[in-house]
Amino acid sequence: MKLEIEIQGRLRTIELEQGAAPSQYRVNLDGQPLEVEARLLRPGVLSLLIAGRSHRVVLEGDVLPGDGSDPAIFWEGKRLPYRLEDQRSLKTRRAHTGGADGLKVIKASMPGRVVRILVGPGETVKANQGVVVIEAMKMQNELKSPKAGTVLEMRAIPGDTVTAGDVLAVIN
Amino acid sequence: MRSNPPSPAFRKILIANRGEIALRIQRACRELGIVTVAVYSDADRAALHVLQSEEAYLLGPAPAAESYLRGDLILEIARRTSADAIHPGYGFLSENAEFAEACEFAGIKFIGPRASAMRALGSKTRARQAADAVGMPRTPGSTRALASLAEAYAVADEIRYPVMLKAAAGGGGKGMRAVTCCEDLKAAFEAAQSEAQRAFGSDEVYLEKLIESPRHIEIQVLADEHGNCLYLGERECSVQRRHQKVIEEAPSAVVDSALRQRMGEAAVRLVQSQGYTNAGTVEFLLDDQKNFYFLEMNTRLQVEHPVTELVTGLDLVHLQIHIALGEPLSLAQDDIHLRGHAIECRIYAEDPANGFIPSPGRITRLLQPGGPGIREDSGIYEGWVVPMDYDPMLSKLIAYAPTRELAIARLLRALDEYVIGGIRTNLSFFRRILSDDAFSAARIDTGYLDRLLAPSQSSPDSGESDDASSETAAVIGAALFESSRTAPATVTQPRASAWKSVARREGLRE
Repeated sequence: MKLEIEIQGRLRTIELEQGAAPSQYRVNLDGQPLEVEARLLRPGVLSLLIAGRSHRVVLEGDVLPGDGSDPAIFWEGKRLPYRLEDQRSLKTRRAHTGGADGLKVIKASMPGRVVRILVGPGETVKANQGVVVIEAMKMQNELKSPKAGTVLEMRAIPGDTVTAGDVLAVIN
Repeated sequence: MRSNPPSPAFRKILIANRGEIALRIQRACRELGIVTVAVYSDADRAALHVLQSEEAYLLGPAPAAESYLRGDLILEIARRTSADAIHPGYGFLSENAEFAEACEFAGIKFIGPRASAMRALGSKTRARQAADAVGMPRTPGSTRALASLAEAYAVADEIRYPVMLKAAAGGGGKGMRAVTCCEDLKAAFEAAQSEAQRAFGSDEVYLEKLIESPRHIEIQVLADEHGNCLYLGERECSVQRRHQKVIEEAPSAVVDSALRQRMGEAAVRLVQSQGYTNAGTVEFLLDDQKNFYFLEMNTRLQVEHPVTELVTGLDLVHLQIHIALGEPLSLAQDDIHLRGHAIECRIYAEDPANGFIPSPGRITRLLQPGGPGIREDSGIYEGWVVPMDYDPMLSKLIAYAPTRELAIARLLRALDEYVIGGIRTNLSFFRRILSDDAFSAARIDTGYLDRLLAPSQSSPDSGESDDASSETAAVIGAALFESSRTAPATVTQPRASAWKSVARREGLRE
């Protein structure tokens, strides 16, 4: 099978082909042929032997992140998010919706609890003015308006629990 | 003098805390044959401290004010379960004199100082008065709460700017404000007061001279109920972000035995002057001339106690329990020897690449380090959802080695083994600090991290542009995981997934 994977800002083309033994793969990575021996030690933890070099590659989760963010692997102490080529176009499309007509949304920067609403619907805000305060792990985070405008919609409700990426307010 | 019979043992101890410290205390209790009672909030039903305890009781809803800070409910559970003692851990009720008093009143031993000593030394202003009484050097400034803004102006003018406003009941950087000029004092005073009120239920603040780029050095003390008191050397906690300790080590690279003795003896004098018992920490600032100034006392076991345990070979929680039982210390000052070097990293659920914002949530992957000289005090497991309601500490990674250099190498090695997935953590931040030349050379003070994090200092992790071939294994790994995920649609072989068949053959998963 052939995959295109974007990782660390580079698009990599990789072909995998089962070798003689089930754990052996003939790999072609950007035109470079490689023999790889792969073992899944336990779910998400992969041992790779490539020309005598041993690598541990760990998948961050068994299911795709629910918030639409990219999956990631850990390798040599680094967390590397990656993206399959076909997913990327989907994601780009998603990112474009909602941004039209000068509408700006204020999203939760982290999972947490809404502690304060600083402006009401219909009120005008300046660029960088605080709009909503959320709190998690004893830290408060004030979310600011990205531009001057009017609060079209205030979706945040004090006391509510939010997850990262939730739309809390819409600024026109 | 009493010739006392063998002291009665505690049969059962309630641990009024959560997370790694609750587990650490449980382990000590189990080693001493003591049954443990855990308490938990709605958010912590699935926490490890509940799983690992012999008994566990629900306190209430997630917010700490409705659970871990409910001294009344905790005492009620202690009574109901016939617990002999309560260990408060750190944070929550550990420095709450009313709670310590309520325990005394209920006939349940509070494992810590008596309420009176806690009041005398736990309040920063009263501790400064006590320091004056024993002739211990302290930072210039007020020794009482500021009665008014006018008084704040007067004190600041006298000791000269820059000054530091601090909450008398404070800790952890809350209610603290550095003020560099008198124009800023009013706003800072009001902000510090309201923050102190919110965090500690007391708006008392005082002023002290801000010592420029000091080192944070603290002395661990242990005092029994018979007037004996020991100092167990120092810890250096100069690596701080927003007044919160990030890395702690023992011993300090700049404290020699003569200075250690002077600081240790000063700490012991302070502690003994107030009839303080059990474990405590006397914090000092050390200036570049190696003058030390008393900062404050922490009347509890501290987060960073493991580094002292490793270099002294002592178990502080065991000793706390023995002291609480009324036993005299079995050690003399001459028995305390420091050996080797220990360094601790506080592993937090926060995103260093994104302004250190908190990152609660599910831990989808966890690989923990081990091997020689590595201790991990942790309260997490794969699959656990780190609650948003409490502080973000996940674990403490501690390395012990013959020298500081080797302890750093050991930590870097352990950090490479450590994987926490699903939430963001500061693991990469520690890699950066421990690889930094200034840290290696122990050129650290409390401003060190601010300098490291200054925008001009580009992170070695960012903008990595080494050649693509170095990530070969990462790309192949990602491709293999993805091929197993998308196998039915894309794999050309008749098997549903070549990948799964590998797993089946290895008998690892279905």
